[in-house]
Amino acid sequence: MGCGMGKSEPLLKECHKESISVPAISAALLIQRWYRQHVARLEMRRRCTWKIFQSIEYAGEQDQIKLYNFFGFLMDHFTPASSESKTDLNSSLLHRNLISHIFRKNEICLDTEWKRYFCYKSIEVTKSYTGPHLTFPMTFCGVSKLVEAFKHKEQLHARYVLQLLEETWRLLRTFPNISHVIACHTKPITICGDLHGHLEDLLLIFYKNGLPSSDKPYVFNGDFVDRGKHSLEILLILFGFLLVYPNDVHLNRGNHEDHIVNLRYGFTKEVLGKYRVHGKKILKLLQMIFSWLPLATVIDNKVLIVHGGISDTTDLDKIARVDRQKYASALRPPKMKVHGCMTKMNENREREAFGQVEGRRRVCSLTYHSSAPDHRHDLPRRSLNNTPVCSKLDLSVDEKLNRRCRLSGFDQARCELKKSDSYLESKTTETDLDEWKQIVDVLWSDPMPQNGCIPNEMRGGGYYWGPDVTEEVLRRNNLQLLIRSHECKQDGYEFCHNRRVITIFSASNYYEVGSNRGAFIRMGPDLVPHFIQYQASTTCRELTLRQSVGWTERSALQALREQLFVHRSDLISAFQEFDPNNKGMISVTHWASTTERVLNLGLPWRVLRPQLVSSTQHGMMDYQQWIKELSITEPKLEQYSLLPFQISDNSILDTMYKNHSNLETIFRIIDTDHSGLISFKEFHQTWELLRSHLKTEISAKAIADLAQSIDFNKDGSIDINEFLEAFRLVDISAHN
Amino acid sequence: MAPKKDVKAPAAAAKKAEPAKAAAAPAPEPAPAPAAPAAVDLSAVKIEFAADVIDDYRESFGLFDRVGDSKVAYIQIADIMRALGQNPTNKEVAKMLGNPTPEDMTAKRVEFEGFLPMMQTVVNNPNKAVYEDYVEGLRVFDKEGNGTVMGAELRIVLSTLGEKMTEAEIDALMTGQEDENGCVNYEAFVKHIMSV
Repeated sequence: MGCGMGKSEPLLKECHKESISVPAISAALLIQRWYRQHVARLEMRRRCTWKIFQSIEYAGEQDQIKLYNFFGFLMDHFTPASSESKTDLNSSLLHRNLISHIFRKNEICLDTEWKRYFCYKSIEVTKSYTGPHLTFPMTFCGVSKLVEAFKHKEQLHARYVLQLLEETWRLLRTFPNISHVIACHTKPITICGDLHGHLEDLLLIFYKNGLPSSDKPYVFNGDFVDRGKHSLEILLILFGFLLVYPNDVHLNRGNHEDHIVNLRYGFTKEVLGKYRVHGKKILKLLQMIFSWLPLATVIDNKVLIVHGGISDTTDLDKIARVDRQKYASALRPPKMKVHGCMTKMNENREREAFGQVEGRRRVCSLTYHSSAPDHRHDLPRRSLNNTPVCSKLDLSVDEKLNRRCRLSGFDQARCELKKSDSYLESKTTETDLDEWKQIVDVLWSDPMPQNGCIPNEMRGGGYYWGPDVTEEVLRRNNLQLLIRSHECKQDGYEFCHNRRVITIFSASNYYEVGSNRGAFIRMGPDLVPHFIQYQASTTCRELTLRQSVGWTERSALQALREQLFVHRSDLISAFQEFDPNNKGMISVTHWASTTERVLNLGLPWRVLRPQLVSSTQHGMMDYQQWIKELSITEPKLEQYSLLPFQISDNSILDTMYKNHSNLETIFRIIDTDHSGLISFKEFHQTWELLRSHLKTEISAKAIADLAQSIDFNKDGSIDINEFLEAFRLVDISAHN
Repeated sequence: MAPKKDVKAPAAAAKKAEPAKAAAAPAPEPAPAPAAPAAVDLSAVKIEFAADVIDDYRESFGLFDRVGDSKVAYIQIADIMRALGQNPTNKEVAKMLGNPTPEDMTAKRVEFEGFLPMMQTVVNNPNKAVYEDYVEGLRVFDKEGNGTVMGAELRIVLSTLGEKMTEAEIDALMTGQEDENGCVNYEAFVKHIMSV
């Protein structure tokens, strides 16, 4: 380093005292100014790029929640025994039946049924299997062997997977909701954030920090799965270590430890792809395991670690008491019934067989000691009017229902119409809703710089909480620091709220190669966090800042152009509102505001304009030309318009591209046996569901034609993956 | 536009600075020059940017608001201007802000309407340098007149003169520029730094 300032500064002054000329200073200033401008512009580009990726990511999450809320609405409002027989209602019932199984609680509750269903003993490990062999009980050697095997890209036999998962399930059931850890002088605690299937990052952490052991306690703060390609391997490794060191490895549940989210974000697909025969069982087992994951970890009663964050109502005591395994998916409260006190409701009360059997049955845990009141089993049915808390209940449940109506895209009128037809079951759900809220808030919330606590509309779940809420919640629960994950940070970690909150994120290169570093925390009994950062992959370490910003930016713009492309018909109609004389031109200002209105991503379109729009004249642009250019800039997009088969209706294509994630999610839900195949009828019903959710018109003929044209095997069933590939719908999410 | 005399700026004539690639090119007439070397009277600055350009600036400004109060901290002002294509020195910006204390720089915030006259002032007093200016500037350190400067000397200069850079900044700047003898070919260097 040529900057030996200590020695050379006086030296410089000695030698050049007389000759420090104005030109020298000017030269220095020039370079310095140039450099600072360069860095500032780079930073601006980096921030924009970040915003693009983040917005698209969160929009997807919001979409998923909307879809799920729509399903929830179907579930709540359309009963088998309704007296109405409108065709609309009938089709809704049909839809409901298609999806009802995802709401069904875990059917297996007795140990004997368990064993029968998940019996791995009958699965033979043949001689042709070259992967690792596991013996139980698990040992450190065994897990290390597993790590090595995964490093060498081997796959664990389904039998061992099931066995390992079963052992994990047994263990997790004995854990409380909140893990308590004591920080020890000789054993600093390591805290890791989101991994999202990035096996290389986990391996890098182990390389830098050592494997988990009784001398090396670890906390993993959720989101182990989805997006990356090795989610299952990560789970198996973490569970393996958990089995060997149950007191020293602590896992927190994340919002992605949720089978509904997994349908959309790749984990379901990964498992089914890797385990064609036993994948379904594995997923089912995981669904239960996820619900048994602890919700939080507390170090020395001073440091709280949760995946998402908090809200103004976060209460550790309440969280400690919830019956966490009830919430297989945090996206939906436990069987929420419409309360009979609703003023707009019809008095029609019919029994809903489905709900009645399901709703209150608890899994009898063998060793789990619940302090929750047992009488929750059989709550007295509250009658319409005669409870003092009735009116209070009314409002909150009513409010909540309305909110969910809105969230799922149903307007008020439609809600009310259906309400009068639907069944009313007046079970009290206030405690359940409260519990559910505690869980959703810690799994989904994000911090914000301003004071206050507002619903997290971007993600669709949890809250945005401010520094005042941090202070209050920490004070109330006697804590001094909150560590959370859930948001990707460029440097792998970030402080906020006067350094009372740390975000720790362990998946490097999350959005793109070179987009961000990952980090983990080491903490001793002084509870001072020390950060270690890293970035997996050798190629990106050699990139300069400018190169890595450029690379990531290119990738983000590509993703953005795809989003613009799939919304092109909506965009053009919206632009035409500002082009009454049909000149094909629109002002830049209108372009920016309209594009934001259609895409709803909260992006700085004016700043992005030079990258997205090739030319403007006097503040006007040719939007038709622009849309055409989008596909030319991204040649990949052009092929979306050139498909090997005819489709009678172009709008169906547009709907498909815009909603490919929803479509795929619905497919996977309908495909109950996870075979990857659905029948024509089910395919049609998928579209019906989608149409219902989106409230758009798609002609039945178009769907029928589509089904015909993609029955590649001509056997009356459609292969989901083939379908998605054929329409290049896979490409859209290829870089995710 | 008549070049403004500024002791600190390089002697070479400055080209008119263009704000961030805006559709409509702003055509400001020469704004009133700052009267005294002390504070800049921002209220006297006439905003001459086109509406489109102002909208562009407003959006960029918003990107720097990390708090959500539609303002930015004093310390961010210089960077926002740079991100928008200007090239003020830190001292120029401090002057416009009334020479605030370091505490003020992080604590005080300004809204967009307050930022705009500052931006106009900077646009009116561009410090844009061209390739030749940088090369001339670096030639000062070319002791042997052979087209190279010692990387080490450059580092010392950048960290001790002018608006000093940190070691990390200098490292980032010099990455890959020094040959095995620690020399920097400054024409190549300038091409490198201008190729953003």
